[in-house]
Amino acid sequence: MASLSEEVLLVVKRVRQRKQDGTLYLMAERIAWGPEGKDRFTVSHLYADIRCQKISPDGKAKIQLQLVLHTGESTTFHFSNESTALKDRDVAKELLQQLLPKFKKKANKELEEKNRMLQEDPVLFQLYKDLVVSQVISAEEFWANRLSLNSVEHSLSNNNKQEVGISAAFLADIRPQTDGCNGLRYNLTTDIIESIFRTYPTVKQKYAENVPHNMTEKEFWTRFFQSHYFHRDRINTGLQDIFSECAKEDEKGLKSMVTQGVKNPMVDLLSLEDKTLDEGYGTATVPTTSNSSNKSLRENSNSAIIKRFNHHSAMVLAAGLRKAEAPSDQASETSSTDGNSRDSDLFQPPLKKVKLQEAIEYDDLQGDSVRKTISLNLKKSDRYSHGPIPLQSQHYSTSQDIINSISIIQHEMRSYKPRLTQVMSSSAASSAITALSPGGVLMQGGGQQTINQLVPTDVQSELKHLYTAAGELLRHFWSCFPVSTPFLEEKLTGHLEEMLQAAYNKFQAWQTRRMMRKT
Amino acid sequence: MIPKLCYFLKLLVFIILNNLILKLKLNIDGLLVYFPYDYIYPEQYSYMLELKRTLDAKGHGVLEMPSGTGKTISLLSLIVAYQKAYPLEVTKLVYCSRTVPEIEKVFNIIYIFITHCIINSYFKIAFQIHFSSVKYLSFLALRFGKEVDGKCHSLTASYIRAQHHSNPSQPVCQFYEEFDAVGRQVPIPPGIYNLDDLKDFGRRKGWCPYFLARYAILHANIVVYSYHYLLDPKIADLVSKELAKKSVVVFDEAHNIDNVCIDSMSVNITRRTLDRCQTNVETLQNTISRIKETDAAKLREEYSRLVEGLKEANVARETDMYLSNPVLPDEILQEAVPGSIRTAEHFVGFMKRFLEYLKARLRIHHVVQESAPQFLKDIYEKVCIDRKPLRFCAERLRSLLRTLEIADIADFSAITLISHFATLVSTYSKGFTIIIEPFEDRTPTIANPVLHFSCMDPSIAIKPVFGRFQSVIITSGTLSPLDIYPRILDFRPVTVASFTMTLARTCLCPLIVGRGNDQVAMTSKFETREDFAVIRNYGNLLLEMSAIVPDGIVAFFTSYIYMENIVASWYEQGILENIQRNKLIFIETQDAAETSMALEKYQEACENGRGAILLSVARGKVSEGIDFVHHYGRAVIMFGVPYVYTQSRILKARLEYLRDQFQIRENDFLTFDAMRHAAQCVGRAIRGKTDYGLMIFADKRYARADKRGKLPRWIQEHLTDGSLNLTIDETVQLGKHFLRQMAQPFRQEDQLGLSLLTLEQLQSEDMLQKIAQIAQQA
Repeated sequence: MASLSEEVLLVVKRVRQRKQDGTLYLMAERIAWGPEGKDRFTVSHLYADIRCQKISPDGKAKIQLQLVLHTGESTTFHFSNESTALKDRDVAKELLQQLLPKFKKKANKELEEKNRMLQEDPVLFQLYKDLVVSQVISAEEFWANRLSLNSVEHSLSNNNKQEVGISAAFLADIRPQTDGCNGLRYNLTTDIIESIFRTYPTVKQKYAENVPHNMTEKEFWTRFFQSHYFHRDRINTGLQDIFSECAKEDEKGLKSMVTQGVKNPMVDLLSLEDKTLDEGYGTATVPTTSNSSNKSLRENSNSAIIKRFNHHSAMVLAAGLRKAEAPSDQASETSSTDGNSRDSDLFQPPLKKVKLQEAIEYDDLQGDSVRKTISLNLKKSDRYSHGPIPLQSQHYSTSQDIINSISIIQHEMRSYKPRLTQVMSSSAASSAITALSPGGVLMQGGGQQTINQLVPTDVQSELKHLYTAAGELLRHFWSCFPVSTPFLEEKLTGHLEEMLQAAYNKFQAWQTRRMMRKT
Repeated sequence: MIPKLCYFLKLLVFIILNNLILKLKLNIDGLLVYFPYDYIYPEQYSYMLELKRTLDAKGHGVLEMPSGTGKTISLLSLIVAYQKAYPLEVTKLVYCSRTVPEIEKVFNIIYIFITHCIINSYFKIAFQIHFSSVKYLSFLALRFGKEVDGKCHSLTASYIRAQHHSNPSQPVCQFYEEFDAVGRQVPIPPGIYNLDDLKDFGRRKGWCPYFLARYAILHANIVVYSYHYLLDPKIADLVSKELAKKSVVVFDEAHNIDNVCIDSMSVNITRRTLDRCQTNVETLQNTISRIKETDAAKLREEYSRLVEGLKEANVARETDMYLSNPVLPDEILQEAVPGSIRTAEHFVGFMKRFLEYLKARLRIHHVVQESAPQFLKDIYEKVCIDRKPLRFCAERLRSLLRTLEIADIADFSAITLISHFATLVSTYSKGFTIIIEPFEDRTPTIANPVLHFSCMDPSIAIKPVFGRFQSVIITSGTLSPLDIYPRILDFRPVTVASFTMTLARTCLCPLIVGRGNDQVAMTSKFETREDFAVIRNYGNLLLEMSAIVPDGIVAFFTSYIYMENIVASWYEQGILENIQRNKLIFIETQDAAETSMALEKYQEACENGRGAILLSVARGKVSEGIDFVHHYGRAVIMFGVPYVYTQSRILKARLEYLRDQFQIRENDFLTFDAMRHAAQCVGRAIRGKTDYGLMIFADKRYARADKRGKLPRWIQEHLTDGSLNLTIDETVQLGKHFLRQMAQPFRQEDQLGLSLLTLEQLQSEDMLQKIAQIAQQA
C-alpha cells in the first residue's frame, strides 16, 4: 500500500501500538505505523479522517498520543523510547497540529458539501436513503462519482481566491524625491514591481533577460526610470535604450488591439455612420494628410500621452482580468462567432442582438409577467414534441397539417379587427377562456385522462423512488465500462451484480405487496 | 387528428387573445392604437396626440421629447395605426435616422411592435443600411464599396446585357438576370426584412439583393434608412425618387439635420482632385478617338439623342446608375443640351477648359471668397464659358460615359465631382459661396489649395422633401429652441411642441459650476482657456468627482486640440495620476478604431466595478452616437461651452448668410449651435426613467439666461437658482447627496400613477388634464 512517492515528513522509532513495538511515520497525507521488522503498515489513517488528537497529561508515566477518527474509533500510540519519548511525542504532536487543520478543512468541506447536496436535492436524498441506508451500495461508492461531477465548479468557487487587481496609479506611487544633491530617488516596493510586471509583460521579459547577467537589479530599474518608456512624453528614442524595444512591442500590442476591433457593435465607431458621402463632398474639412512632419513636436508628445493613457488603462484592466478570462473565453467565443445569421444562433442570441435588445428595452413599461427563462436547447425538436410513443399513424397530425392550420389561423387573424364598440363583456370572455382551458366544458372530448390522474400519489412516489434507485444503480453499472482495471472488473462481477439483484428483489417485493393489497 | 388539432388551435387562439388583452389598446383622439407594452408614460400619450393632430392636418411637425421616453415606439404605434385606419391617406412610413445602431434599434422596435400588437402580418417592411454593402453578396471578394459598385455596374449595365444576348460568353451577373426575369412579378412575402433577411431571401431566390431592395422600397409599408437616402440628392435620385407622395417622413435624432443637408450639397476641390480629373479627361479623349475610328455611328446616335433633349434622363433604366445629377431643375429636363457641348469632342474640350480654369484659380496665394454669380462672370471673362452649358455639365457627362460604354465608373469620380460642381454653381445663384484657400490656417507655409464650394442654406437640400411628402416630422431629444429649426429649414410646421419627462423622482441633476474653490472663474472662454488656474480647477473638479461618482464618468471638452492641451498639462501637474487612483482613464483620439477600443475598455471597466473616466470631445463621434446608459455614465461633465471654431471662413460665410436671409443674429446661432451640442453631450447619460445621472456644466457662462434658456425644457426645469454658480466643493456636496438618494431601490410601484400609467389611470379625468400640460407649444 505504501507508495514510494509519498513524502515522509517525520519518522519516530520505538512507538508502541497494541503492545507491539514499531515505527510511526508521518507522511504528507496520512499517518501510518508499522510493526518492527516488517515493511508494511498495519495502521494507516488519512489526516482527513482524523477528528482530533489527544495526548496524555504531562505527569503520567506512559507518554501517549491518541488519534480520534471521524468514525469514532481511536488509535493510541505509546512512545516508548525512554530518553526522548516526551520530545518525540511533542514533535509528532506539533507536526500533527500543523497538518490536521489543513485536512480538516477539506474534510469538513466535503462533509458539508455532501450535506448540502442532500438537503438541497430531495431526490438525491431519497436515493441516498434507498441505496446507502439500505446498504445496497456503500457511501463511498455513492459519492464517488457524485462529487466528481461537482468538482469543477467546486474548485472554481472555493479554491480560486479573488485576484487583487492593480491600482491604476501604481506608477504615480513611485513619487520621485529629490535627494538634495541633484538626483532623484524612486521608491520601489515589491508590490509596485509586481504591478509593473503584470501590467507590462515586456518589461518583465527584459528583466528576465538582463538581470542579473548584464546588469544589477538596481541598474535595471535606474535605466527603467531614465528611459523614455517611463517618461512617455519625451520623444527621444536612443537606440541603446533597452526599453525602446518594449515601447515598440507595446505599440504593436496597441495596434493589434485596435485592428482586432471591438466585439460590441454598439460601440464600434467605424460602422457608426452609414457613410454615403463620396470623397470631395461635404463641408467637413478634408483630413490633413497627416504626416507627422507638419505636426509640431508638442502636439506629437500630447498625442503620445493620450495613447499612453489608453494603453496603460487597457493593460491594467487586462492584467486584472487575465486570470478570470481563461474559463469565460470559451463562452464568449461561441456567441461571438457570428453576429448576423439568424437561424444558426437561434438559441444563443449573438452579442449584437443582445446589445440591441438591451438598448431598446423599457423595463418599467413591461409588466412583471416577463420572467427570464432558460431556453431549451434541442438538437431535434421533432423528437421532443412527439416523444417515443408507439406510432399510430391515423392519430398523428403531421407537421404539415400543423403548419397549414397555423396559416389558416393567421389568415383569419389577418382579417380580424376588434370593434371597440362591440367587444365582449369581460365576464363572457373569462367564461369562454375557462371553457377553453383544460378541464373546461369544451375541452372534455379531446384529452384522455392521463395516468397520473388514475394512480394514487403515494404509489406514484414509491414507484418513482424505485425507478430512480434502479437508475442510479444502472448508472454505476454502465460507468464500469470499458472494464479497464481489475478493480472495475471485480466491482462489476462482484457486488454490482448483487446490488442489481437486490434492487430487483426490492422491486419484486414492492410489486407483490401492491398486488396483495389490491386483491 | 381532429381533436388534437382543435386543441392546438384553441390554445393558439387563447394565446392570441391573451396577448391582445394584456397589451394596451389606446384611444387616441378616436384612433385605435395598439401599444406593445403593459404601461405607458404620460408623455408618450401626449406625444401621440400631437402627432395625430399633425397627420390629420397633413402638415409638418417639430416635436421634442427627451430620449429614453419611448419616442420611437410612440411614433411607430401611432403612424402604423393611422396607416391602417386610413390606408388611402397615408400609404407609407419613411423613418430616417442618423447612425447605423440607431437604425437597427428602430428596426428591432418594429419587430417587437409587430409581433406584440398586430399578429396580422399585413405590414411589409424593407430595411436597408448601405447599398454597396448589399452588393457584397455577389462580389464577396471585393473589399471597397466603390470597387464593388464598379464591378457590379460592369456586369449589369444595359449595354453589357444587350451584348450578352448576342454573345453569351460575355459575363453578366446571374443574380441580376434572375431578378430581372421574375423578381418584379413575384411579390415579396409580407414580413420584416432587414439587410440580412433580404440577402438571405435574395440568396434563396437567386435574386440580386441590391436591386431587390431598391424594388422593395417602393412597395414596403415602412422603410427605415439613413438620412442620406432622402437628403443627399445624388442618392435620393436613385433610391427615394419614386416614393409615394402620401408618405409620412420622420427624421429622428434630427438635431443636426441642417448640417446633413449642407454636407450633401457642398463640394471641395483640391489639387489632387484636379490631377485625377486631368487623367480622366485624357482617358475620355483617347476612348473617343478610338471609338470614332471604329464606331462613329454610336457617337452620331448620341448626338441626335441629345438634340431630342434630356427627357430620357427620366426613363433611363435603373441599372444605368451613372452617379446621378445632384440637382436637376425641371427646366433642364425640358430643354435640349446646348449645341456647344453636344458632340463628344467638344464636350471634352469644354471640360478641359473648365479644368484649366480651376487649376488657374487654385494657383493664387491669397484667400478668395466670392459668390456664384461672381464666379460665373469671371469664368465667362477668362475662358468664355457660358452659364448654360455649365448647367448641363453633369448630365452631359453621364450621357457620354454611357455612350462610351466605360464599364468601370469608379475611376471617374473626380470628373464627376467637377461636373457636379459645374452644374451646382451655375444652377444656384443664392445660398452658396466659393472660398479658395491656398493653405491651411495652421500651416501657412505649406501650399495646399482647396476650393470650397459650400452650401449655406440647408433648406435647399431639404426643400424637395418638404415639398413632396404630405407630412414630415422632425423629432429629437434636443431641439431647443424649437422655433429655430423651421426658420433655418424654411418650412411652416403645423405643430411645434416640446414634451417634458414626467418623473417620479428627479433622476437628473444639472449643476452649473462657475468657480473653483479658489473663487477663480471657470470658463473655456478663448482669452482665459490657457490660464493655469482654469486648467487646474477643471482638473480638481474631475478629481473630486472621480472620488464620489460610482462607475463611469464621461467628460466632454470643447474641441480636440483643447482636450490634448488640457490632458498634457494635467499630466504635468500630476492631476491625472491622482485621478488614476480612483478610476481608469480612457481618452478619445482622432482615430476611430482606437477610440472604439478605448470605449469598449471603458465599458468593460464600468462593468466589472472598477470604474472609469472617458475623456471625449463634443461634436466628436462619441458625443454623437454613443449612449451611456446606467452605470456607463453616472455623471457627465461638460468642460466649457462647445462653440464651433468661429475663425473658419465657411462658418463666417454661413453666419452672414443666416443674418441676411433669415434674420438670425450670428451670436444667436452660435449659442444655439453650442447649446444643442452641450445638451446632446449631457443627454447621453440619461436614457430612461430608471436611469440617473449628474449633469455638470463647468463654465460660468452657462448660468446666463441666454445660454440656459436654450437648453431643452426637460433639463432646464431641473436647474434651480441654487445650482447656477457653484464652486467645486458645493458641487461635490450636491452630487454626493443626489447620488446617495438615487442609489436607493426604485421600483415600478413608485412610478405607477405618476410617470407610468395603466389604461385605467390614463382614462381618468384629472390625468388627462395633467397630460395636456406636458406638451408645451412653442
